[in-house]
Amino acid sequence: MYGWIWRHLPGNAWVRAMISLVLILAVVYALFQHVFPWAEPLLPFNDVTVDGGSGR
Amino acid sequence: MAARTEQDEQTGTPVPAQAPVPARRRRGRVAGAVSVFGELLITAGLILGLFVVYSLWWTNVLADRDADKQGNEVRDRWASGPGALDTKDGIGFLHVPAMRNGEVLVKKGTDPKSLNRGVAGYYTDPVESALPSDKQGNFSLAAHRDGHGAKFHNIDKLKDGDTIVFETKDTWYVYKVYAKLPETSKYNVDVLKPVPKESGKKKPGRYITLTTCTPVYTSEHRYIVWGELERTEKVDAKRTPPAELR
Repeated sequence: MYGWIWRHLPGNAWVRAMISLVLILAVVYALFQHVFPWAEPLLPFNDVTVDGGSGR
Repeated sequence: MAARTEQDEQTGTPVPAQAPVPARRRRGRVAGAVSVFGELLITAGLILGLFVVYSLWWTNVLADRDADKQGNEVRDRWASGPGALDTKDGIGFLHVPAMRNGEVLVKKGTDPKSLNRGVAGYYTDPVESALPSDKQGNFSLAAHRDGHGAKFHNIDKLKDGDTIVFETKDTWYVYKVYAKLPETSKYNVDVLKPVPKESGKKKPGRYITLTTCTPVYTSEHRYIVWGELERTEKVDAKRTPPAELR
């Protein structure tokens, strides 16, 4: 998978390394900005109120 | 894997003549599938690791920044002259020296969206909280134990007799901790009642209740701390804090 991506990037090793880095940063940004905030309320780690089961 | 094999064949790199090509292809394909599967597992592990970083660090960074901003807005409004109790932008600040976390802005409601911004909220539901200024009742608060500012992270450091101070525009309310419940069900809404019987109180009074989740990093149970109002102090021109905070 990663090998396939590497082979399909243009340029020499340095250019590919830079593009890879940008891609990794983009993925991490998307995770922190969109995926994790979406997933967090669905996971039972951070409910702090007593609520008689209203589901918060 | 498979791609390189093809390339090798195309460019005419020496291939052992006796190896039958279809068998090599098949093995290459299986190896390729296994390696993709392995890479997916590694990726999943990295994502879970990043999620831990996100929940325990990044949400704190965001929430603390947000809470500072909201707190400054409230202080600015207080400084700019008289005004009634404003429940929209926060009613005051909680100071708990034993938790060593500075001041915590308190706003109305325990909606996750609000609590995620690094503040504590007073309950409107399922048992409506009293306000500190009320003649009697229970001022009940919730805040995060981990992540999103983790304002009640050190709630387990509170002991009987410790001070909880609530600062409003014109009054310091000084509470003393008198009871706690290190673990209770999340359905135990009785802890929020105007007279919380589980804390040992039978008569109406002016109480404060702090709730958060426990054990740390999970929300299996709830951790409850109760305090009772000891005295109030008028805020002076210099906002001199009560002796307990100095």
